[in-house]
Amino acid sequence: MATNTDAIVVKKPPLSVRIYKYRYFYLMAVPVIVLLLLFFYWPMLGIRFAFSTYKLKHITSGKGPDYSTGLGNFKALFTDRFFLDSFRNTIALSFWNLVFATVFTVVVALLINELQHEWGKKFVQTVLYLPHFLSWVVVASIFTLLLSAGADATGSDPTTVGFINAVFLKLGLIDKPHSFLTETSTWRPCWYIIQRWKETGWGTIIYLAALSGISPDLYEAAEIDGAGRLKQTWYITLPSLMNTILIVFILNLAKILNVFESVFVLYNDLVLSVSDVVQTYTYRKGIQGNDYGYATAIGLFKSVISLFLVTGADYVAKKIRGYGIV
Amino acid sequence: MSTKFSFQKGYRARAVFVILNTIFFIFMMICMIVPIIKILSDSLMNHTVYGMQLIPDEFNPIAYSYIFTRDSLRRPLVISIYTTIMTTFLGLLISTIGAYILIQREMPGVKVFGYMLMFTMIFNGGLIPTFLVMKKLKLLNTLWAVILPMALNVSNLVLMRSFFEGLPTSLFEAAEIDGCTPIGTFIKIVLPLSKAALASIGLFFAVAAWSEYFHYVMYISDTTKYNFQYKLRDLFADKQEAMEGIQINLKTLQSAAIIVSIVPFMFIYPFCQKYFMTGITMGAVKE
Repeated sequence: MATNTDAIVVKKPPLSVRIYKYRYFYLMAVPVIVLLLLFFYWPMLGIRFAFSTYKLKHITSGKGPDYSTGLGNFKALFTDRFFLDSFRNTIALSFWNLVFATVFTVVVALLINELQHEWGKKFVQTVLYLPHFLSWVVVASIFTLLLSAGADATGSDPTTVGFINAVFLKLGLIDKPHSFLTETSTWRPCWYIIQRWKETGWGTIIYLAALSGISPDLYEAAEIDGAGRLKQTWYITLPSLMNTILIVFILNLAKILNVFESVFVLYNDLVLSVSDVVQTYTYRKGIQGNDYGYATAIGLFKSVISLFLVTGADYVAKKIRGYGIV
Repeated sequence: MSTKFSFQKGYRARAVFVILNTIFFIFMMICMIVPIIKILSDSLMNHTVYGMQLIPDEFNPIAYSYIFTRDSLRRPLVISIYTTIMTTFLGLLISTIGAYILIQREMPGVKVFGYMLMFTMIFNGGLIPTFLVMKKLKLLNTLWAVILPMALNVSNLVLMRSFFEGLPTSLFEAAEIDGCTPIGTFIKIVLPLSKAALASIGLFFAVAAWSEYFHYVMYISDTTKYNFQYKLRDLFADKQEAMEGIQINLKTLQSAAIIVSIVPFMFIYPFCQKYFMTGITMGAVKE
């Protein structure tokens, strides 16, 4: 220990010596830095296209983007009905999904925690985690088949309707098959439920970890004081979980605008009005419509809001648990 | 805590709760498993059996032989396997190198390197500028457009760093004194000691690469370069090209394609669950 303190007193060697000492590390860093610059930092320069008119004809003619537009793209943005719709949809979908996720995941985590049988608990967890690992394409494909209304929508032939329609018909919940994913009234509930199907189990992990960290002494003390199970949950478990719940909520709140793939694989032209989100709109405008300038402007608008959300979340997370998220 | 299971007075409410809780989880597990069983069952019957039938009335693997023999379906499968292997290998390479550099606290410039990595997690150029960069690099319609951006995964890199930070620094010092170069230390000491981390993070890369869809949507329009996920999605879009020359029942083929894309994962999942979990808990204890 003493030699260590002595070493600190010694003056730092000059920069060139230190750089020379780490020469192999700089060599090793090259591939990482190249990828970082190419795929993450170079695109940031492309943000300037947001202030230009840049379409396919500008590329084919070799002229490059036309910067006389200035802020025109952003002015157009706020009067673009489709963009405003997509923005509203993004907020609504993400927000309600976040609310359902928080409530449902916490309740399921509390109930898993109550399972006494060790092996049974492991088994339940294994099964519930599973859908998390299925890709969105697979999940969308599964539910497209299960939610299908079948060959003919009159439901005259019960063997051609999808599984979920068949179950609902049998239970008498509906009187004819519905094409749930192509009707504006049912698309959103389906999306929320599919999200829960896929992510609930996985979401419980963080709460279960927090639950296992609660001191058993607290419960013993409560028991001596005559508190039943429900009271223990209400006065010990939930308050102890509050920090974790808040942190998870805030972290997800920061990502509220990032929703893309789950919508992209499940939406269709018939339900565009309730399902189109900012990212899918950007994709259709930019990649399919080749309106690069305008689409970059949408993307920039989204990124800037996200940046504020993330730094805000980071600040709040630091307040709550002492360390941030980035 | 009282855990006695009994219907005697005083324990009754608890017993009722335990039963209801068990029923709830049996119901949850049915909700998770039945969709997959239904698809598996439908994939084995070469006729549209919708409705509630969960047990196949015939065993007809024609849809599977279709997938493995027809070029338009086998090629995407091969591409999926290829990109999964490449992404996992390059991803692990990049993450371990990056993490190894990040733990060199004394190295001039390492802080800037760290900040540059972290910044990409909170801000990026967006879909379109990234697309235009790919276009400029002439990577559109090549599999590199999918593999390379996935190989640099900052959250996996940070996870790897927290693993490396757990290694005793005395080991590095000892290696240095014995005349080991940093690259030698990396290969002979760091990597062999991080097998669990390599397994976990390798699995993350493999699952992500196998499931990858977004990068194909963005950068690949050449139908011969689709991966299996993209092909699966294509089977559901009422596109004429996708259906061309398919003589078996479409629903059967769709079901079989779903099963093929989840089977590799289903096989490794029960055995590798602990590795998936390591990653999560590791992220949770980050100080």
